[in-house]
Amino acid sequence: MQRILDIALNDLRIIFKDRSIWINLVILPIVISVAVGYANGAGFTGGSVSLRVDVFDADAGAMSAQFLDAMRAGNANLVLCPMDQTAADLCQLGEEALTAELAQTRLEDKVSLATLEIPAGFGAALARGEAVSLIYRSNEDATAPSYILQAVQSAATRLSGAQIAVQVGGQVADSLSFLQFSDDADRVAFLEEIRGRAEEGWAADLITVETVQAALDPAATQTNGGGGFAQSIPGIASMYVMFTVLPAASAFILERKNWTLQRLATLPISRAQILGGKLLARFVMGMIQYAVLFGFGALALGVTFGSQPLTMLPVMIAYTACVTALALALTTFITTDMQAQGITLFMSLTLAPLGGAWWPLEIVPEWMRVIGHISPIAWAMDAYREIIFYGGGIGDVIVPIAVLLAATAALFAIGVARFRFSK
Amino acid sequence: MQETLVQVRGLSKQFKRDNGETFFAVKDVTLEIRRGEIFSLLGPNGAGKTTTISMISGLLTPTQGDALIGGNSITKNPLAAKKMLGVVPQDIALYPTLSARQNLEFFGKMHGLGGKTLNQAVDEVLDLIDLGDREKDKVDNFSGGMKRRVNIGIGMLHKPQLIYMDEPTVGIDPQNRRRILDTVLRLRDELKMTVLYTSHLMEEVQEISDRVGIIDHGQMIALGTVGELIQKVGEEDRLILKVGEQPVAEPLLRRIESEVATATRAQYERREIANGDSGALAAAEGILTVYATRGRRALPDIIRLANETGVDILSVEVREPDLEAVFLHLTGRALRD
Repeated sequence: MQRILDIALNDLRIIFKDRSIWINLVILPIVISVAVGYANGAGFTGGSVSLRVDVFDADAGAMSAQFLDAMRAGNANLVLCPMDQTAADLCQLGEEALTAELAQTRLEDKVSLATLEIPAGFGAALARGEAVSLIYRSNEDATAPSYILQAVQSAATRLSGAQIAVQVGGQVADSLSFLQFSDDADRVAFLEEIRGRAEEGWAADLITVETVQAALDPAATQTNGGGGFAQSIPGIASMYVMFTVLPAASAFILERKNWTLQRLATLPISRAQILGGKLLARFVMGMIQYAVLFGFGALALGVTFGSQPLTMLPVMIAYTACVTALALALTTFITTDMQAQGITLFMSLTLAPLGGAWWPLEIVPEWMRVIGHISPIAWAMDAYREIIFYGGGIGDVIVPIAVLLAATAALFAIGVARFRFSK
Repeated sequence: MQETLVQVRGLSKQFKRDNGETFFAVKDVTLEIRRGEIFSLLGPNGAGKTTTISMISGLLTPTQGDALIGGNSITKNPLAAKKMLGVVPQDIALYPTLSARQNLEFFGKMHGLGGKTLNQAVDEVLDLIDLGDREKDKVDNFSGGMKRRVNIGIGMLHKPQLIYMDEPTVGIDPQNRRRILDTVLRLRDELKMTVLYTSHLMEEVQEISDRVGIIDHGQMIALGTVGELIQKVGEEDRLILKVGEQPVAEPLLRRIESEVATATRAQYERREIANGDSGALAAAEGILTVYATRGRRALPDIIRLANETGVDILSVEVREPDLEAVFLHLTGRALRD
């Protein structure tokens, strides 16, 4: 282990002897993160964090429309689909009609966070004072506060309250002998007056309950710049981890050219120690890159990392390990420094946008999202978004981490099997 | 009888060309290196010297054969074998952005040195290679000769029993070459190390070596002390006479062989000299080579016969038997060809 550390420290010393490293490690990633953050909506509030809910309104009456308005009033970030569909495809439905099957798929793929079914006769049942059930399906963590469910419950309470006021008002009016209606229309108008005043009273929010959660409380959402920096910081950091780690391929070729790699092979140290030391140095560089940008994001931009920020660490480790293994595998297919530089640039600039480093994958078509997951960045970003936007814990990011570690093992196996000290 | 430190048995290395053909860069090389000697591998560029050293230092895996270093197989027990080794590669294998001391310290650590032992070893080597006053300078700023000295210093840092030096004097000035050759002699004489030295330069091999193996086209074609190898070509001197552009006819060669008492063989070769820039033929010169015992005494008779046949002699060089002659004798080619 000591030899591995010695080799890693020597490589880090060589890397940091080049002062231009600070430009690539600190200055450029920060500048790009800020620029991309603003491009992604930082500095503007509302709408950037879209809580998509698929709604099946079988009633399609005034009461159900009122109910949906009450939900929107309960949470400004709710996007009720297909009602709130825009030209920019906010619902991500494209030209498709929302069916039960599609809604289920969207729920599983986390395109939508919940579905809500309003039964036929919803408004009529309410008017009769009968109980009526809405069906709410969600893939949200049962242990975490649900902002969508809160909005649904809030709307239900509001409408129920107004309806109860109407019923009670009607009963009281009927029991008062001095209060006589000229006809039924007069009675209905009186009851509607009660409903209107009751709804005004509910809308006035005389009593509000504020739920505070680190990930999504209003203050945090505001500080995350409406999601802009919370998107750009992990995205650009992941891309720059590639920029920092993939040049390991160039470094191997340079060492082979300088014969220092061959010299190491003649020393009484094993091949595993040499590769371990070299790759450890690059892995550490990747983690430093993450630390620089996450640190800047937290301290300068006020980005918060969910309710369980330590969950970020296993994601960072798994992703950086994957990119390190990718660098080793690439090294075995290229022979010149020019090839190495070209492939590093190509891989980074292709896998980054494909994987959602520059913009959230939510805004790209479904087929692009599928293709995008060829990039390790996509898996890392899935995990980071889960942690940052939805307050996810380790259980919520276990799949992306497992995928990244499996890719690491496969790439590492290819690299180790094909690696040669001399060409 | 000196103890054998290195045993190389039937070592071969096969490579594949770009067109898929295979070829042997080294074929069936067998040799022994005795403790405390300087053993040199002599051969032209591309003969297989570096491939041989790469195999017995563990860098390349042999296609066939093995090498035992102090009884440890380089293929089966490489770490134990490598512990006895110091390797000085032909290329300058240094980290250019690090200082001489930092390079030495890093490679010293890789040999398991640390703390005071490492510092002391680095100080001693810096002293030995005469770079103590430049220890903190970046290697990138060194001259070629200074880099070579650091390159050698790393190989001897851990005081190995055996040190491989692959063409350590390539591309440096005569002053630094002299300094390196003196260092090699000190390794044997003062530090009692065994040295495996490769070179294509006959003069330095002849000067420093206890024994020499001559390698050509990947095969060992002769092995012995310098004296033993020279005996293979006899005691004949070579008289090399430049005769300008005019051709030398066969009758003159036959007359030299029959009328000059000590001459055994005469041969003529016409060389064309190309223009350096265009590659076009610029001139031609004839070389008349005569093999004779006590060559200087035969010279007047050869000049007389040349005059009689109208051949103008432009210059004369008398070469005593050397490894160059051995190589020529064995391969029909000059070592520098």
